[in-house]
Amino acid sequence: MIVIATKTNKELKIEIKPIEKDDYRLVTKKRYFFDWKKEEKQEVYKLTLEGNKDILGLISIERIPDEWRIHIRLLTVSKENKGQNKNYENIAGNLITHVSKIALREYAELACVSLKPKSSIAQHYIEKYDMNITGATLSIELPEIINLIKKYDHE
Amino acid sequence: MNRSKINNKEIPGAEYGVDSRYASKKEKTADGKALMEARLKRMKNLSDEQIITAKLLQLKLKMEEFIKNPVEENQNFFTDFLKLYIDTIYNKRVHFAKDINITPVSLSQVLNNHREPKEEFILRLMIHSEKTYAKICDFHKKTWFQVYFHEKIYDTMSNQSKWRPQVEKHVNISRLIKPS
Repeated sequence: MIVIATKTNKELKIEIKPIEKDDYRLVTKKRYFFDWKKEEKQEVYKLTLEGNKDILGLISIERIPDEWRIHIRLLTVSKENKGQNKNYENIAGNLITHVSKIALREYAELACVSLKPKSSIAQHYIEKYDMNITGATLSIELPEIINLIKKYDHE
Repeated sequence: MNRSKINNKEIPGAEYGVDSRYASKKEKTADGKALMEARLKRMKNLSDEQIITAKLLQLKLKMEEFIKNPVEENQNFFTDFLKLYIDTIYNKRVHFAKDINITPVSLSQVLNNHREPKEEFILRLMIHSEKTYAKICDFHKKTWFQVYFHEKIYDTMSNQSKWRPQVEKHVNISRLIKPS
């Protein structure tokens, strides 16, 4: 999986791994917008450039096996990667793809990844990730999950 | 909300974060129920090809996970993955045997762990998978070998009590190196 450095247009390899206990000292609300310490008991993944420790994005999820679903609880990019002057492109897309791969690995054709963003930003997710709308919940299932993996997963 | 197209300009703040945590169990249950109803309707539109593609991707991801974090269990991962692979694509296992030019009996012996797969078997399986996955996703040539040898290493190391006494009889150290 890769991100694109916006200044140089260079493709850079990334890693997505479970967050470690020591990381919680570094993931401050100031840089990562939410109080991630509250997610310490949840399943949380961090995105870094390959071989680099600096965390560029975070995602926390809840597995709901009875519904063959994974719900995204929190998703964020670091402060420098917010808005039009961001350093890297595709951080959120890669994190959502990572979760989609977990859902597909667990539930195959029944897989579903859901999230419930504020209505002001929902349209962005509907458009960018081809999400389905059910009430206030957005979701990707088959075939959207496969399309997302094809687009973002270059392994 | 609707699916109307927006332009490519990013909605301010859209990608920096989503707080999507449920406020209560009641909300989670109600959302899950409504979502499931909608999903079941959408699932009816899935084609056989899409379902097979999902199952093959699932198998690939499971094998990659096993290679990354080999599970130390006395389970036959190689043959279990192989059964999944064959049963996803074929209605009958004999058709796979025919496609890789082996007898149904030898395939059955491999699948039932009565016989170790020969190198030739794994090579044919490798080429078969390469062609099957070609239009779905990248599939590393070495995947089946890696699964097979990971399992082999684990089995060998964890069953030392079974083979070691006999094998040790055949090993003699005629020149023992002493630390200087």
